[in-house]
Amino acid sequence: MLTKPQIHLATIFIKIFYRDRQSLFFSLLFPLIFTGIFLFSDSEPNPTRLGLVNQSQDELSIKFVELVKKEKVFTVKEGSELELKDDLIAGDQTAVIIIPETFNNFTNPGKLRLLLDASQVRQVDSIRDSLEATLLSIERDIRKIEPMFSLELEDVKARPQRYIDFLLPGILAYMLMNLCIAGSGFNIVEYRRRGILKRLFVTPIQPKDFIISIVLARMFIIMMQLSVILGLAIGLLKINIIGGLLPLYGVILFGAFIFLCVGFFLGSLAKTQESIRPLVLLFTFPQLILSGIFFPISYLPAMVQPIASSLPLSVIASSMRDIANDGAPLFAINFNFIGIVFWVFTSFFIATKFFVWQKVAS
Amino acid sequence: MSIIKASNLEKHYLSPDKPGKTFAAVNKINLSVEAGEIFGLLGPNGAGKTTTLEMLEGLNDIDSGSVFVNQIDVKKNPYEVKKIIGVQLQSNEYFDRLNLSDLLILFANLYSVSIDPKAMLAKVDLENKIHALPDDLSGGQKQRFSIACALVNNPKILFLDEPTTGLDPQAKRNLWNLAKNLNEEGMTIVLTTHNMEEAEYLCDRIAIMDQGSIIAQDTPKQLILDYAPEPHETPMYGNIEDVFLALTGHRLRD
Repeated sequence: MLTKPQIHLATIFIKIFYRDRQSLFFSLLFPLIFTGIFLFSDSEPNPTRLGLVNQSQDELSIKFVELVKKEKVFTVKEGSELELKDDLIAGDQTAVIIIPETFNNFTNPGKLRLLLDASQVRQVDSIRDSLEATLLSIERDIRKIEPMFSLELEDVKARPQRYIDFLLPGILAYMLMNLCIAGSGFNIVEYRRRGILKRLFVTPIQPKDFIISIVLARMFIIMMQLSVILGLAIGLLKINIIGGLLPLYGVILFGAFIFLCVGFFLGSLAKTQESIRPLVLLFTFPQLILSGIFFPISYLPAMVQPIASSLPLSVIASSMRDIANDGAPLFAINFNFIGIVFWVFTSFFIATKFFVWQKVAS
Repeated sequence: MSIIKASNLEKHYLSPDKPGKTFAAVNKINLSVEAGEIFGLLGPNGAGKTTTLEMLEGLNDIDSGSVFVNQIDVKKNPYEVKKIIGVQLQSNEYFDRLNLSDLLILFANLYSVSIDPKAMLAKVDLENKIHALPDDLSGGQKQRFSIACALVNNPKILFLDEPTTGLDPQAKRNLWNLAKNLNEEGMTIVLTTHNMEEAEYLCDRIAIMDQGSIIAQDTPKQLILDYAPEPHETPMYGNIEDVFLALTGHRLRD
């Protein structure tokens, strides 16, 4: 049961936040920028710029060039090897294909050469796949054979899934983590530096009262901030929260609690504003990489995946994604739920263990 | 009757000069404060005054010895002690964007009591600053506001830690009058100072501390008789502070 001092202190923290025009402005600016980026950017990826040098110029190679040109994923420019190599070096082309003179020699066909910029290697796979498909299509055409097999993609979950649908829950979880740690960890250090904690310490309130108050206040503030993003995402980006908003807010509340407690712990360890920054970075940066915010955890090496999946940001982001994309319930007994329960208790334990008035306030 | 009784109070800190060694910031001190008196801890910087005060208030761990405040064991029940005391700290920082009224209501709520902020500010001559932010106050006003914050729970004992350090003569005299008035209303006051005049003017009894120990403890008059019995010549003139006050007046400037 909440006490009068806890409730009053929580309302004071909310009042302080809403009287700070600058922080209000910036807390609204980020959601607007985020939504704007996705609203005004084309959801289709830009075509790859591909240079084509046809040294053969026979009927087959011309047909190959025509087929490559028809591929939507490429913007094709034909030219000489020298000219296109210069373009490649200047960054005007992503890759250059050289069709050899012996392209139509069935007994000893020449190999296609693919020139590319090493800094663009991430696109090699997609270029190679498209070229191989084109070559296969030409070969079938020449040999007059029909493909035996075809592959049709069908989503078993039967819902349209865009990158933004995958990204949004992760971004919300990542924002949640940063807002919470800034709201507790950085504040603790600042309040201590200015002697404000000591001023509170002379009153009869206990550390748990202070922690509960700041957690309540920050939860309220963060819910408002995330609601703005969610509102814009649903209204403008047409994001569909399949599992409903209520379970999603439930996970956000658990996440806020976990990260606020972690913030208290980090703020209790750090003595200065200079030392809190690397501590926070040490906690947040690995999670940004490992917690499946921008790409699924299954892309990571197999041995890293169990650790990555267990991180607090991972369990929160995955739960939010399960609710938003797959309609999962809040209290489904699965790995993420167990992870959330584990982190709720662990974070509260370390926060209260390390947040000792005498040490933190002095 | 003693309202505060400290016995064999000790506090050790790690020595800044000798790594791994400790030194006694407070070394087995004994003191008792009578209800209704103004008690002063007098001493040079680093004598252990603030550490002693913080142990009496329950803000600092007691390494050994005991403190009873209004018969409550500070070691066992620091939060019970905090309910009946008011503390004015040396630092005067508060949450941003809260005015004096907000802050007083906040501190009152932390004690689960209700107050009229205007009446509370009137006690310290700050009623016209009710909507001001602490950063807008002068040094003397900040100290008075700090005392107002310490009074929200109508404490039995008020602790003042070097309350007049850095104040101009008008603000200093005004704060002395405030302390005297509160004491006349029945409040016990414990203060630390390194200002001899302040100790002599305000305190009913004084403990002189040096290097963590109490080296003398009595009324100002008795201490003078014991340690400075030679009668001073009656000065023909006041001191330069009297000149300053004669020229600039006693009226508060903030």
